[in-house]
Amino acid sequence: MNALYVICGVGVFALLAEVLNLKKWISNIALAGLIAAIAWIVFDWRSVSYRFQGMMYFDHVALAFTALILIVTFFWFWMAKDFFSSDEHITEKSALVLFVVAGAIMMVAFNNMAILFLGLEILSISLYVLAGSNKLSLFSTEASFKYFLMGSFATGFLLFGITLVYGATGSFNISVISNPAQGMMSVATATQGIPRFYFIGMLLMMVGLAFKISAVPFHLWAPDVYEGSPTPVTTFMLTVVKIAAFSAFVKIFSVTFSKYAPTLQLLEQGIMVATLVVANIAAVAQSNVKRMLAYSGVAQVGYLLLAFSSDSAKSAGIIFYYLAAYSAATLLAFTVIKIVEAQRGSASADKFKGLFKSNPLVGVAMAIAMFSLAGIPPLAGFFGKYLVFTLSVGSHFVGLTVLAVITSLIGVYYYFKPVVAMAQAGENKLSVSVPDRYLLILLMAINILIGIFPDLIRVI
Amino acid sequence: MLVVFSKNPVYSILYLIITFFSIAGHYVLLNAQFLAAVHVIVYAGAIMVLFLYVIMLLNLNKETEPHKSNLAKIAAVICAGTMMVVLVASLRGASQMMPNSGGNIGLVKNLGKVLFNEFLLPFEISSILLLAAMVGAVMVGKMDHNIPPVANNQKPNDNNN
Repeated sequence: MNALYVICGVGVFALLAEVLNLKKWISNIALAGLIAAIAWIVFDWRSVSYRFQGMMYFDHVALAFTALILIVTFFWFWMAKDFFSSDEHITEKSALVLFVVAGAIMMVAFNNMAILFLGLEILSISLYVLAGSNKLSLFSTEASFKYFLMGSFATGFLLFGITLVYGATGSFNISVISNPAQGMMSVATATQGIPRFYFIGMLLMMVGLAFKISAVPFHLWAPDVYEGSPTPVTTFMLTVVKIAAFSAFVKIFSVTFSKYAPTLQLLEQGIMVATLVVANIAAVAQSNVKRMLAYSGVAQVGYLLLAFSSDSAKSAGIIFYYLAAYSAATLLAFTVIKIVEAQRGSASADKFKGLFKSNPLVGVAMAIAMFSLAGIPPLAGFFGKYLVFTLSVGSHFVGLTVLAVITSLIGVYYYFKPVVAMAQAGENKLSVSVPDRYLLILLMAINILIGIFPDLIRVI
Repeated sequence: MLVVFSKNPVYSILYLIITFFSIAGHYVLLNAQFLAAVHVIVYAGAIMVLFLYVIMLLNLNKETEPHKSNLAKIAAVICAGTMMVVLVASLRGASQMMPNSGGNIGLVKNLGKVLFNEFLLPFEISSILLLAAMVGAVMVGKMDHNIPPVANNQKPNDNNN
C-alpha cells in the first residue's frame, strides 16, 4: 500500500517537475521513488493485511508481484533513458509510466472488483497514449489506435462480466464473490442456487482478461501494437504490463472463482493449447526481431497458463519465477534491440549481422537473452520451463506437457535466428554508451544468477 | 430500432438521445433520481454531443463507407447472435429475484455515504485515472515544436506510390 502511495506521489511530482524546472532530474527522481517503494515492500513483508475496508489485500503473493513490477520498472527506467531525453513531453511520459505502475500495483493487490477495474483502466489509458508517443511515426499512431480500440473492447467485456457477477452476488468484494452462497441469501431468496448469469459473468471476465494477457483467440492486437510502439514502450508492455495482467488473471481465477476450477481448467487448457501452437508457429515466419519477440511474448503466456491450469493453488510461486526470468531476458533482449535500432535503423534480423565481431558484449548479451527465452540451461528461462513442466506432469497432464515441449522446441528455432545472424559477417561498428554497458552486464548477471540459483527468488 | 435503421447517422444519434431519456425515466420510476440526472447529463448531454461532432467531422456517407466482405458480416452476425442467445438464456428467470434493498438506494445521500465510507479508495483512485486520461489527452493534442512541415513521412520508402 505504501508502495502505491509512493508511486502515485512520484507520478504527480513528475508532472509538477515541468513547472519546477526539474526536467533533467525526472528519471533520477523516478528511480529514487522506485527504490523507496521497493524498500517499503521489504518493510511491509511481515505485515500481511487488508487495507481500506478490504479494498486491497497485500499478502505475500501480491507483495512479491508488486516488488517484481517495481524492480522491472527500475531497470526499465535505466534502459529507457534516451526515451526521456530525445524530445519533449518528458514530464508527461514519465508521469504516465508511473501511473501505469500504480495501476499495475492495484491489479496485483486488488480485493475488490472496483479496484481491479480502476487499476486496469489507469494502466490501459496511460498505455494507449504511450504506444502513440512517437508522433512522427505512422506505425506508432496505428499501434496506439489499434490498442485503444481493442483495449476498450476488452474492458467492455470485463466490465460487463463484473456487472453480471455483481448482479448475482450483490458484492464487488472477492471474498463474497468466491463464496456466492452467502451473498445469494441477501440478494435473492426467490431462486435456489446461483443465477446462471453468474457464470456468464465469469466467462466474460475471462475474455476481458485474456485480451489483456494476449492469450490466443484474443491476441490479434499484440504483434502490431508491440511492433509499432516505440521500443522502450514495447519493452514495458511485454514485461510490467504482462506481469500485472497475468497476476490479475491468476487472482481472479484461482481465488475468486476457485470453486469452479475444474470447469475453468478445461477452458484455460483450450486457450493454452491454442496460444502455444499459434504463437510459436507464427513467430517462426517473422523476420523482424521485435515482432518475433512480440509473438514470443504471446507464446510465453501459454507456458504460464500451463502452470496455472495444472494446479492453480501451487502455481503462484512458479508463475512468479517464470515471469521474473522472462522479464529479465526480455529486458536484456530489448536493451540490445534498442541499441541496434538506434544505430542501424531497424530491428530486422539482418541488422544483427556481425554483432559478435563488432561488439562482443552486445552480441553475448543478445545470445544470453535468446538462450534464456528458448530455455537453454543454465539460464533462468530453462528453470522457469522446467518448473512449469514438472508441475504439469505432477498433475498428470502428460499430453499437454509433451505439446508444450514440442512447441518450445519450435521456439528454439526462431530464437536462434538472431543469434545465427549475429555470427555471420556484416556491418561493423556498434558503440554502446557507458550506462547501457553496465545495464547489459547487470542484466546478464541476473539472467545467469537466477538460473543457477533459482531459490534466490522463490519467495512464495 | 430507429437508432439502428436510420440511414443518416445524425438521425440515429438523435433517436439514441430519446432512448437515453426513456432509460432515465425508468431510473426515476425506480426511485433513483441521482442516477437519472447523471444519466441525462453524461450520456444524453456530453457523450452524444461528442458522437455528433465525430460523425460530422468524419463526414460519413455512402461512398466513403468501407466495403466489408460477406464472410466477415456473416461471422459477425453469428457471433453476436450466439452472444445474445447465451445472455437471454442466462438472464431468463432473473426477474423472479427480489431486490434486497429499501426503496431509497438511489438517492444522493445514500450514494455519498457509500462513496465516502466503503468505497473511499476507489473514489480517490479514480482521480488518478482522470489525471492520467487528462495528461494523455494533452500529450496527444499538444503540437510538437520539432515536427517537420510534412509529418507522417518518416519512412518514405514504405510508400512506393
